Amino acid sequence: MKTRTRALGAAAALAGIALLAGCSAAAAAPAASGSAGAKLEPLVLYAAEGYDANMGKAFTAKTGIPVKVDDDSTGPLLTKVAAEKNNPQWSMLWVDGDQAFASLAQQGQLLAYQSPAALNAVGKTIAPADHSYTPTGTTVMAALIYNAAKTTSVPTSYDELLGAAYIGKVGMNDPAQSGPTYPFIAGVMNQDGSKATGIKAGEAFFEKLKANGLHVYPTNGDTLHALETGQVEYGLIQSSAAIGETIKVKPTADYQPKIVYLPKSTLLPSVLGIDKHIDATQQAEAKKFVDFALSAAGQKVMQAEDTSGDSLYWPIVTSVKALPQLPAFPSAYQRIDPTYWGSQEPGIVSWFEQNIK
Amino acid sequence: MTRLTVALPAARRGQSFLGAPRRARRVAIGRSKAFLAFWIVIVLILVLPIAVFLAVAISPALLDQGPAWLSVDAFARALTGPTLRGFLDSIVVAVIAAAVAAGVGFGLAWILLRTDAPLRGLTTGLLFALFLTPSYLIALGWERLLEPNGVLQAVGFDPAGIRSVIYGPIGVALILAVKGIPFAYLTVSNALRGLGREYDDAVRAHGGGPLRSIRMTVAMLAPAIWSALAIVFAESISDYGVAATLANSAHFPVATSELYNAVEAFPVDFPLASAISWLLLLLVVVALWLQNRALNGRSFQVFSGRARQPLIVRMRAGSIAIWLVAFVTLIATSLGVPVVGAVSASLIDGLGSISGSHAWNLHNYQRVLVSPELGGPLVYSAILATICASAAVVLALMCARVLATRGGSRLGRLLDTALLGAVALPGIVFAAGYIFAYNLPIVNALGIRIYGTSALLLLAYLATALPSTTRLLVGAMSQQHDSMSQAARVHGAGSIGTWLRVSLPILARPLLSAWLLTYSATLLELPVSQLLAPPGSQPISVGITVALNRYDYGGGTAMEILAILSALAIVAIAYGLFHLLAPRGWKRIGVAR
Repeated sequence: MKTRTRALGAAAALAGIALLAGCSAAAAAPAASGSAGAKLEPLVLYAAEGYDANMGKAFTAKTGIPVKVDDDSTGPLLTKVAAEKNNPQWSMLWVDGDQAFASLAQQGQLLAYQSPAALNAVGKTIAPADHSYTPTGTTVMAALIYNAAKTTSVPTSYDELLGAAYIGKVGMNDPAQSGPTYPFIAGVMNQDGSKATGIKAGEAFFEKLKANGLHVYPTNGDTLHALETGQVEYGLIQSSAAIGETIKVKPTADYQPKIVYLPKSTLLPSVLGIDKHIDATQQAEAKKFVDFALSAAGQKVMQAEDTSGDSLYWPIVTSVKALPQLPAFPSAYQRIDPTYWGSQEPGIVSWFEQNIK
Repeated sequence: MTRLTVALPAARRGQSFLGAPRRARRVAIGRSKAFLAFWIVIVLILVLPIAVFLAVAISPALLDQGPAWLSVDAFARALTGPTLRGFLDSIVVAVIAAAVAAGVGFGLAWILLRTDAPLRGLTTGLLFALFLTPSYLIALGWERLLEPNGVLQAVGFDPAGIRSVIYGPIGVALILAVKGIPFAYLTVSNALRGLGREYDDAVRAHGGGPLRSIRMTVAMLAPAIWSALAIVFAESISDYGVAATLANSAHFPVATSELYNAVEAFPVDFPLASAISWLLLLLVVVALWLQNRALNGRSFQVFSGRARQPLIVRMRAGSIAIWLVAFVTLIATSLGVPVVGAVSASLIDGLGSISGSHAWNLHNYQRVLVSPELGGPLVYSAILATICASAAVVLALMCARVLATRGGSRLGRLLDTALLGAVALPGIVFAAGYIFAYNLPIVNALGIRIYGTSALLLLAYLATALPSTTRLLVGAMSQQHDSMSQAARVHGAGSIGTWLRVSLPILARPLLSAWLLTYSATLLELPVSQLLAPPGSQPISVGITVALNRYDYGGGTAMEILAILSALAIVAIAYGLFHLLAPRGWKRIGVAR
């Protein structure tokens, strides 16, 4: 029994050490000093962008302000933000899509800030009137990527996909697993601009698409895989993933990916938000980070780091041009109201899972 | 012999016998404190996070997850529509998976430990590799093989018939069973090593044949078999890898897919996830009740000083042929398929599509080997996994001792429920419970600021690993006869000496396998890592997932294969050192001759 006693004691000691280590690690969170001697506090950036880690480093190099990046997928980051709701630990959140930000703003969790950077027409469309969050670039949902080696039929509208030429040939992502897909579904429902009739009209469209043999895959990558392997000939995916595919793949006799944008494309911006609860020092630092993200230097880092993925966005500031490998911005585009469509998301995704998938 | 004086510690140290009661009192007080400390640790790392998360279903407002202070709405939603269907589907596939895994695990353990079957050494290594292979990789391997225009179709075989079978409950149950085999094998084999030849001899002396002998073996190994059944069942109902891949492609909803839909969707619905967790825990309670009813307070202490080495069964040519066919089939279906899928993907740029136009080369390996996304995270995860495995083995040893107590105490049953409950709850729920519990402002106000540090991640890893590590040791612990320790004490050994000379030799191999399994599982653990890793420190599993999510399938799978190889290297080194350095007696326990 004495052995057991000592072993139990050892375990307790171990746990104690771990706890102490944790306490000391937390207590040791550094407060650096800037060149002018001002106290700098580390920013905590929760981000799901391919260039986020390098943006943190570039910002630190420029300003001396340390940035701790939690680089992960959008889903786990939003889960974390929700779980931390009564005691947020993040300074900034940077992910694709503005529905979550609209919801956070409604809950009073975001700090309003308007960067002095001049926005282009698309940027002005996306930016919220209350400046509760800041778009830093945009992709669109959906790009229709198709295999030109297998088909010559290229639709010019979503309704054409319901025709006989497309039976069993179209694939899209599952909105329960793919973050960018709900904005696409909401965008289809928003085509006529009427919130009253849009959802019913959109549901009818997807039911017909299903009847025409729609395939649903988990994410962009899976839909592209289905396109490559000939399971489908058309894929409705995020523009950056589609453009990345056309850049990475060398065309062959069996596979030539090409892209077309069907009117109206729905804007899917990458968005930065600042936590309202951080202290004044961090708020000032976070505002500097937002300015940096919209500056030419920041945009250069964003465009350089993930050239077959997240860097393939269209800039929304007037001073920056899109990467040369990007096609012209779709002429027919729309912004969906993130507050309204965000509130509809659980119901619409649930409907899709039960009726379309 | 001087040893006799050692048995009387007070006299040995020159104290008067009058001092003994005071010393006994001190020991008793120390024991009570240690007992209390043990339970405090269990409560802090297991019970508290689970309890706080479960509270969200009943009182969302308590943790700022809704307006209601008291509500059953989440349960009403969990018990309707697709969530209820997913729950029922999970029960069916988990029962099948547990039964198949326990059956195969028992068969493997018996063949490897009690026969001279060929390829025994290789099998142990392959079981570790299977343990390390994430369930989603196995499922994805099958999908790549069977999908339209997939690998089989590319080589001229139409798999439509097989696809219709595998893409459904049968495929889901089979993959979960395959993932459960290493657990079942290790749990049963650790116990089988302690079962001596004398019981076989007794069966023979009473006229029993081989079948009777196997029946006796199954009965004597009941704690380990039930342990295997329970843990595979709990692991299966909490698995998300298969839910997100094959079950999703087959449109076969399971409880975890519904739970993840609630937790990773927008807006996050923690009350619904909590209600589903209640239901999963209910299943565990039922499983434990069945286990306790089956064992019914009997003793399974079969390993004593009189235990005799079991006899080895010489296999005939026909038996060897059957074994080899079964072995190759098992390895091909469990490891071969995902390995082909993962290795091929790691050798191709892009999405791992063999019919695409991608070049085959080692570019992905060259890229990730020099990339900071591999080296730093792999070292970080390896350090945490080493600490976690070491602490988990110590704690699990104590938990196993509590669980192995004959008849089981009330606290033992509570501990068993907490441990298995932790397995039944998917990692993401467990991690969310940690955030709720350790990020509370009141906890910070008390000066406990461990949220957002590696220490909390480590404690969560420890809590995640503890149930399976404990289960791996329960079988061996429950076999150890008290008479052995008592004999050692009578012969003058102190408590530490008794443990080192009597218990450690018996437990050395189970402890080593438990340490290695915990290390390997922690190295690639994902959901807890995603939610609890401190900003700026990325575990390797998160790095792999981020790469895969960004369509860098080649880089992601290359990182995954390198991480698995690093773990297998640790396993090989550890077993090699055990073989070279452990005393001969430690290695002989349970070895047939």
